[in-house]
Amino acid sequence: MSPGPRTDRRQPAGPHYEGRSISKAFDGAPVLSGITVSFAPGEIHSVLGENGAGKSTLLKILAGVYQPDSGELILGGQRLPALSPRSAQARGIYLVPQEPALMGSLSVTENLFVGILKRGRLRFNVDWAGMHREASSYLNRVGLHIDPEARAEDLSIAQQQLVECARALVHRCTVIFFDEPTSPLTANEAATLFEVMAKLRRDGYSQGFISHRLDEVLTVSDRVSVLRDGDKVLSAHVSEVDRSALVKAMVGRDVASRRRVRPPVDATGREEVLHVEDLSSAPAFEGVTFGVRAGEVVGLAGLVGSGRTEIAETIFGLRAADRGTVHVRGELLAHRTPRSCIDAGLVYLPEDRARHGIFAEVEVQRNVTAGVVPRLERFGPLLKTSAERRMAGEATARTAVRMTSLDTLVKALSGGNQQRAMLARWLLAEPRVAIFDEPTRGVDVAAKDDIYRIVAHLADEGLGCVLISSELSELAIVCDRALAIYEGRVVGELSGAELTDDRLGAMVVGGHAS
Amino acid sequence: MSLLAGAAPAAPPRPGRAVRRLTAGSQDRTWVSALAFLLVAEVVYFSVTVSGFWGGGTGMLSLSEQFLDIGLIALGETLVILAGEIDLSAGAMSSLVGIVMAELWQQGLNIWVATALALLVGALGGALNGLLVTRFGIDSLLVTLATQFILSSVATALGGGSPPYGFPKSFVNLAGTGTIGPVPYQLIAFAVIATVTGLGVSRTRYGRGLVLTGYNRAAARYSGTNVRRTLLWSFIASGFLAGLSGVMVSGFYNAARDDIGDSLLLPAITVVVLGGVDIFGGRGRVLGVVVATFVLGLLTQGLLVAGDSSLTATMVTGIVLVMCLVLKIMLNRRSGASLRQLLARRFGPMTRPPPTRLGGETTS
Repeated sequence: MSPGPRTDRRQPAGPHYEGRSISKAFDGAPVLSGITVSFAPGEIHSVLGENGAGKSTLLKILAGVYQPDSGELILGGQRLPALSPRSAQARGIYLVPQEPALMGSLSVTENLFVGILKRGRLRFNVDWAGMHREASSYLNRVGLHIDPEARAEDLSIAQQQLVECARALVHRCTVIFFDEPTSPLTANEAATLFEVMAKLRRDGYSQGFISHRLDEVLTVSDRVSVLRDGDKVLSAHVSEVDRSALVKAMVGRDVASRRRVRPPVDATGREEVLHVEDLSSAPAFEGVTFGVRAGEVVGLAGLVGSGRTEIAETIFGLRAADRGTVHVRGELLAHRTPRSCIDAGLVYLPEDRARHGIFAEVEVQRNVTAGVVPRLERFGPLLKTSAERRMAGEATARTAVRMTSLDTLVKALSGGNQQRAMLARWLLAEPRVAIFDEPTRGVDVAAKDDIYRIVAHLADEGLGCVLISSELSELAIVCDRALAIYEGRVVGELSGAELTDDRLGAMVVGGHAS
Repeated sequence: MSLLAGAAPAAPPRPGRAVRRLTAGSQDRTWVSALAFLLVAEVVYFSVTVSGFWGGGTGMLSLSEQFLDIGLIALGETLVILAGEIDLSAGAMSSLVGIVMAELWQQGLNIWVATALALLVGALGGALNGLLVTRFGIDSLLVTLATQFILSSVATALGGGSPPYGFPKSFVNLAGTGTIGPVPYQLIAFAVIATVTGLGVSRTRYGRGLVLTGYNRAAARYSGTNVRRTLLWSFIASGFLAGLSGVMVSGFYNAARDDIGDSLLLPAITVVVLGGVDIFGGRGRVLGVVVATFVLGLLTQGLLVAGDSSLTATMVTGIVLVMCLVLKIMLNRRSGASLRQLLARRFGPMTRPPPTRLGGETTS
């Protein structure tokens, strides 16, 4: 029933696809209330909104992953019956997921043609040669020049995403949705993806796009819709809006942006709370030396894969170092474990909150006190639960975690509040120096602002802060100094007026600081 | 003072989203209450229908000697399962420690010294499991499957031909059949160990690390828990408690056998799961396991006293377990809803006119 790919590679222009008055609630909590959006052929329509605004839910409904509670889906003027991902695909609607969902141990060709394998001349064999040939041509169309027989898991995330894109073409889909495709990509990789999207636009495909990065949205899309708390608050042609209008629509208020969060601090002469000397861990990084003084925010700028996270994890005792030393407040931490680092006053807020940070199925209280369990032993080995509750209550109040009670499960909190709970966890440890690894990843504009303010506030109170980020503009407005990391080495340092995202940008791609 | 108080006006918490959600703790308490209710119902049922179930007043308490060995293994297994691992060698460990104890005694050692040394063997065996799991990163299912074979074959080699019997009276009394008034020593020992285990899990640093490790191992490590050490101690505790059960069974029957533990492992794991411990780790309470020990133990004993075959008892055990698991999954799937809401959602649409679905008209 699903036809094999046609030899004629010219695709027809995509149909008009529309979702009318779509509503959806999860467990009684409304996520979308009566949203109408349409996707026209030859157009890229971006859907913007804060975390939890309902963007992903909307695309997933349009692609048949979720069923709407009410509303209708209209494809080319025809009302569609209830969709499944499979039937949506059969009708030419494809969703490229946020994290590529290829089958890692299969070849690229197999991934592309799964479900529609081509038969060979004998009818019971598979025409591998023909499929590889055809796969190559589809891959070329999305700008990928890789061996179609390569295993999918050996590809980079960016390449896998493009393979997903090619898969949509192989299945002759003409309505393609991208759910935050650029969040795991570097700037260059994202640019490649945008070229492919532009090409598909010329060929008449209808495309939907979600991103947090406003600059991207403004350059890529033709039309923009903004969701806020499940309502569509703005829908306009991209020429009619600018950055600040979009931000205002997303958060519902003006957010100061691109301005320094706090005036730069010259910390010379203050106590050095963290000193890293010649730290190496081949092959990730080599000979890293830097210091952080009390009340200072030091940025570690680098592309994904430059070794930033590995440096932080080695400092925090999660990875073994080949050589080098770490001092916290002048005290040498010899055999570092996370425990000994925490006790010495060094904490690390990991990048991957879901995997390394929160205990989703555990209530807020035990999440917040997880880093200081030994300090709950007051008399004898039994933990003081009343003290624990008080400490958790105070810490969550300080970071303004929004929750029903300390017994709320962390998975019931929004992403921003989970991040606040993580901050509360480390405040309890009374650190002298904290490493924040991509604290604003996957967080919306307003929550980003809050996180910058928290970091600035903590620095004002005397905490030495290390801020790891691949968003250079973020480092430029928060940090007092920034180190550029390129291929596992510190290639430069900027401070004061020199610290701009342009200059950092040149350094993190291996160029000269000029 | 809020860090953000000056920065962003904190909006009032949105009601509705999380208000009705039951917390994990209250759900676990509900589960334990349900088990306790089941236990009472069981006791009443057997008391009424099976003459001789009470066995003359104190009989009920001494019935417990028939299944406390399972309970002890279950307590150790709970520590391992809470951490997200499993110990399949516990049954074989029980046999081996019983045999080692008996053989050492037969070689002329004082029975209590022999017992202490044998329990040490149990702890060391557990440590071996733990080290294989933590140092080499092998799945505990495979590690303990392998050590199970080793332990049980060593037990057979040591005592298979002529297992020792006829221990000193003081040992048989204390470890096996003795009582204080109506209360068997075994029951007292079990109560003490269960209390220590329960407090250990819920109120100590080790227990907290154990539970957090079970919920999210990486996050536990990133927040300062020594995951390897925590796992190691769980396996050591499991080996030790399995060994203790072997000593108790040997005392009870006044004989060691190389295969006594074989029939204990699966009931013990059953008890842990029935007690509400998540087989994938993290969630669960020791109290639930204790109550489940009695639910399952009295059920089996009740059926046996009533004259049913052990086959019937085993089958009923299986049925109870399946029913409990189904119920638990239904409870978990919709953690925000009460059971009534749940049933309404499941069976409601049949009694109401079906809601108009989109696309209903176009399919014609």
